[in-house]
Amino acid sequence: MNDLLEAPFDVKDYLRLEMMPHFMCPGCGHGIALRCLLWAVHELGIDKNKLAIVCGIGCSGRVGAYIDANTFHTTHGRPLAFATGLKLARPDLTVVVITGDGDCLAIGGNHLIHACRRNLDLTCLMLNNEVYAMTGGQVSPTTAIDRLTTTTPHGNAEPTFDACRLADAAGASFVGREVTRQAPALKNVIKAGLAHEGFSFIEVMSDCTEIYGRKNDLGESPEMIMSQKSDMRPEAFGNVADQPFRANRLRAGIIAQRDRPEYGSVYRQRAAAEQAKAKAKS
Amino acid sequence: MSAAPNIETAPSTVAAARATNVMVVGVGGQGVLMISKALALIGQKQGLQVKQSEVHGMAKRGGVVFSHVRFGAEVWSPTICKGEADVLIALEWAEGLRWLEYLRPDTGVFIADTRRIVPPFACRSRRRGATMAYARETPAEVIDKVSEGYALDAAAIATGLGEPRAANTVLLGVLSASMGVPVAEWLAVLEMLVPPKSRAINHKAFEAGRAWAEAAHDDASLRFDAGITGDVTHADMAEVSVRLDINAAWCKGCDICVKLCPERCLALNDHQVAYLKAPQACTGCHVCEWLCPDFAIEVHTTHQVSMTVSE
Ligand SMILES: Cc1ncc(C[n+]2csc(CCOP(=O)(O)OP(=O)(O)O)c2C)c(N)n1
Ligand code: SF4
Ligand code: SF4
Ligand code: SF4
Ligand SMILES: [Mg+2]
Repeated sequence: MNDLLEAPFDVKDYLRLEMMPHFMCPGCGHGIALRCLLWAVHELGIDKNKLAIVCGIGCSGRVGAYIDANTFHTTHGRPLAFATGLKLARPDLTVVVITGDGDCLAIGGNHLIHACRRNLDLTCLMLNNEVYAMTGGQVSPTTAIDRLTTTTPHGNAEPTFDACRLADAAGASFVGREVTRQAPALKNVIKAGLAHEGFSFIEVMSDCTEIYGRKNDLGESPEMIMSQKSDMRPEAFGNVADQPFRANRLRAGIIAQRDRPEYGSVYRQRAAAEQAKAKAKS
Repeated sequence: MSAAPNIETAPSTVAAARATNVMVVGVGGQGVLMISKALALIGQKQGLQVKQSEVHGMAKRGGVVFSHVRFGAEVWSPTICKGEADVLIALEWAEGLRWLEYLRPDTGVFIADTRRIVPPFACRSRRRGATMAYARETPAEVIDKVSEGYALDAAAIATGLGEPRAANTVLLGVLSASMGVPVAEWLAVLEMLVPPKSRAINHKAFEAGRAWAEAAHDDASLRFDAGITGDVTHADMAEVSVRLDINAAWCKGCDICVKLCPERCLALNDHQVAYLKAPQACTGCHVCEWLCPDFAIEVHTTHQVSMTVSE
């Protein structure tokens, strides 16, 4: 079994050390998100041989390459689809999807809503840096109004998606959000999502320091991470029905959690029943 | 009891000679003003003139709050001079010490809660086990210095009754035993000051304080809890030493650890690699480790006394 269980958390136990240092830019929030995921995995005592990480394409998707577990670098927008097949075939694995705001909400948006609806036991970490970072900084569905990107040189005019409300409305049985600045809290939300049986959607507010931060003059890495806190005010979460898009301030923590039949077990029950029927016939 | 003037029996004679002076001190949120108002009402009920004044500077933020209450047949000034308080009642230990010189040296009665509310600026070093710049006098030492003193953990008594916020009422009960006004009158005043839903608990807290004081009046050895010492360290924290391992090969010099370390003990060297510049200030809080996007910092806390710094 897992000898790491008893030991205090050492992130190096879960990294592919031969690949370190990782490729991310100085100050990139994705590295902090990675630590929090591994920290949660450790605290839950999940055996890394029973852990499968499925990633999309992007800087976010690249995160999985550094994890010393079963990792799967898939195609842009499709990690949830790959993960769905994997989890149905191997229900014994803990399957975690790491995706980006572009990967998950733009090209992969349909996969997201159906994964929420289906409620298969997956944990989806969406690293939201408000931009297509890997490809040089194009606008994404979560880019804030007025932000500069290579495709919005005069400022973004499109309303911004609130990914958590989207996942909640589509039926995700667990929805959470946290900033990388609050690493221990982020670890706890991921832990709760991993422990939840059903589809868990977790939005991680991450910083793209090199591209988005620079282009929008958001300061150096420390300034960017420090400003995250002011965007997160649980009590100021006022976006009700009349405000379909993202409010300036967001609620953090566990945003929704509900009991719904987990699709994998429903599927297996039905399959067993069909098999029994077929046997009885023959 | 001898030290405090008895306003019940001879208001006209004693009070005519001079007013009775009571100082109530504490920090914001403790209920200093409730005690002060109770005293003022008691004075009025005796048909005396009452002057009450109060200062609550940064009360909301745990800052100093104090109130002067004076009553007698004729009272002019609303404030008490140094060395003229008949009773000094402190809801917080160091606040009591701060105002000690206001107490009458030969007859003044000192009543204090031993609870310490350590202000942030007393924590100049946040290292575990670090001592704080907070009053070191023990209750034993202070009680010995004043003519008549009582030091009790009123907060613990109130907590034991199920309402930590009633500590001020416990102290009011203690004070009442030094004032000679019948208990029924105090309780009537208390009823006027607390909302109906918390009357029962305040009544109990008053009685508990009164009972403690009556026992202590009879037996001077009960006037303070000998178990309370003057050592003030971060509560319940053992001395812990910290070792920081910084992996220079992984550090990308993003500056996050440098700017977000609460103690500002990290810096970047000439190669833009983080190093521990002020090891003695490091508290082992792990913030740098958690927020380093490159896993370049490990914080190891041990119970050894030595501290090594590696880079
Ligand atoms: C089918 C397809 N379309 C487009 C791309 C180009 N592409 C690579 S990453 C990316 C966007 C990634 O953005 P996001 O998911 O937010 O991840 P980030 O890099 O910001 O972490 C795009 C459009 C691709 N690899 N495949
Ligand atoms: S481009 Fe942005 S998101 Fe990608 S590694 Fe650099 S900082 Fe991170
Ligand atoms: S552990 Fe790190 S962040 Fe905390 S005080 Fe020490 S150097 Fe600073
Ligand atoms: S946070 Fe990490 S990568 Fe950034 S300067 Fe500090 S040690 Fe280096
Ligand atoms: Mg992105």
